[in-house]
Amino acid sequence: MPTATEASKPEVKAQLNFKDWYASTRKKAEQPPLTPEEKARPFAKYYRDPVPPDPAHLAKMDKPCDPSKAIYPEQMNDLLNPGYLDMEIGWCNLPNGAGFIANCYQHKGVTADMIDWWFVWHTLEDLRYRIWFPPQHAGIMISPETRKRFLDPSIPFREKNWGATHHVTENCDCGMENIDISFMSPKDFGFDMSRWHEPNVSTFAGGFGWACAVNKTDESITAPALMCHIFRQIPGGLEHRTRFWLGYRISNGKPELSLPPGVRVPEAAIRGLARHNVKEFKNFGVFLPQIYAELGGKVEV
Amino acid sequence: MPIKLMAASRRRPGLTRAEYFRYIEYYHGTIARDERFKISSYIQNHVVDGAFGVLSDATHQQVADRECVVELYFENFPDMLATLEPATPSAASQDGKFFADERTNIIVMAEEEEVPVPNPFTTFNPGLGIVKSVGALKVLQYIMRDDEVYREDYYQHWRDAHAYAMEKAPYAREQMRRCVMNKRCRINDNDAAARKHFKMVDPPVYDLVVSTWFDTLEQAGAFRQYNEAVQSYPKKFADWSRSFFLYTRQVPIIRDTPKN
Repeated sequence: MPTATEASKPEVKAQLNFKDWYASTRKKAEQPPLTPEEKARPFAKYYRDPVPPDPAHLAKMDKPCDPSKAIYPEQMNDLLNPGYLDMEIGWCNLPNGAGFIANCYQHKGVTADMIDWWFVWHTLEDLRYRIWFPPQHAGIMISPETRKRFLDPSIPFREKNWGATHHVTENCDCGMENIDISFMSPKDFGFDMSRWHEPNVSTFAGGFGWACAVNKTDESITAPALMCHIFRQIPGGLEHRTRFWLGYRISNGKPELSLPPGVRVPEAAIRGLARHNVKEFKNFGVFLPQIYAELGGKVEV
Repeated sequence: MPIKLMAASRRRPGLTRAEYFRYIEYYHGTIARDERFKISSYIQNHVVDGAFGVLSDATHQQVADRECVVELYFENFPDMLATLEPATPSAASQDGKFFADERTNIIVMAEEEEVPVPNPFTTFNPGLGIVKSVGALKVLQYIMRDDEVYREDYYQHWRDAHAYAMEKAPYAREQMRRCVMNKRCRINDNDAAARKHFKMVDPPVYDLVVSTWFDTLEQAGAFRQYNEAVQSYPKKFADWSRSFFLYTRQVPIIRDTPKN
């Protein structure tokens, strides 16, 4: 049990049990205004209109790309090759029905330490997640055991997320969903660790997720996806390459197509997530160096 | 084995247990062998005995009656669906109503995780100590997650509770030959069509079924000691009133000789 002082910390007070958290997501999905307590947080100033993406970049996500230029999750190690793959910004349905998304950003002034810190730090309060992309990020929760791990200073930021699940409430252009994202180490995700070093890669955030509508009905589909954010150094910052494979899950340490025979991931879902990704990570690349300079390196504020 | 379907059923009204077992093993089992589709293996676990809830419950909180748990193993999810929902309904899928009370079935699509045990070989009879991790008594323990506990914590708490119980229960530590976590796969969330087909209303959801093996029914006491120790684990992670365990006898319906 935390002491009274510990329990009063916002990072600890935010904890809800599963039942209460799940019940709270419908309210969160309405994106209520910040509470007075939230407004008083030092990072509330980042809750602002996001920096818009380059229209030409966003336009690349309007229509599907050529599926022959996509890679399957079994080819994820191609991301460790120097240079670029055939498709770096685009989305499509793969012939097997899965959804594929590729995106690429160059974040100036961003370091691997910032990425490792952010993917832990932002989970501890709803507002931390909401500032990432206020128009579509509604809330976040982690379990009590994960919170203990995240607050444990003996675990490096890079490793804290390995095995951790983030429960996010967000709208990827298809309505508010609750998405459980289970982060993995690059090894468990399937990367070849003999090639896992500079300059091929600087850091990684990824795993598998299950998404379901916040206003779930008996007929709602719980949809699996693999998520891969891989970062490598460029002069003055990091290059961020994203891949999503919708319709896949990790089974016994390997990606497995998890769609019923003949079913295809709806184009609206792939396109929506692709466009959401472009928008949220444009804003991310701008505010991350700022907030890290102010609060980085520690989890408590 | 990547994924399996576990269906716990009870007999339909009007059948004796003997009639039910005869039907499911000899008739239903034969149909499944004739129309194998993409089943890798198929085990029926016939219930010998079991207990539902805990002694402090004044009455049962749900159906407390199970005759069999079938386990259908598949190489992958598309194979599972191709078998369970073929273009033309299979004879096996139409046969359940003749022996089971289908609307009270408990379905779990699960992925296995082996949990090492300290004594996978029997020591009682050295002649039996050739093959490890087998036993004639298989216990299936359906553990209901406490609704305040996150799934990821629940699995961790169970692992801790299991380790705690193995420490506290020396008879179980000595006699448990194998232990497997059957973790519910979230794909199972998408079974609305099946629930509708069987007219199931809010069936209980089990995120974990633990299978343990002991040499014979004579060692059931070892499980009992273990189960009490798991339930006494100080952290609350399970709703024991809605949990149950079944002592079963395995009946292989489809089990190929391993290739290696």
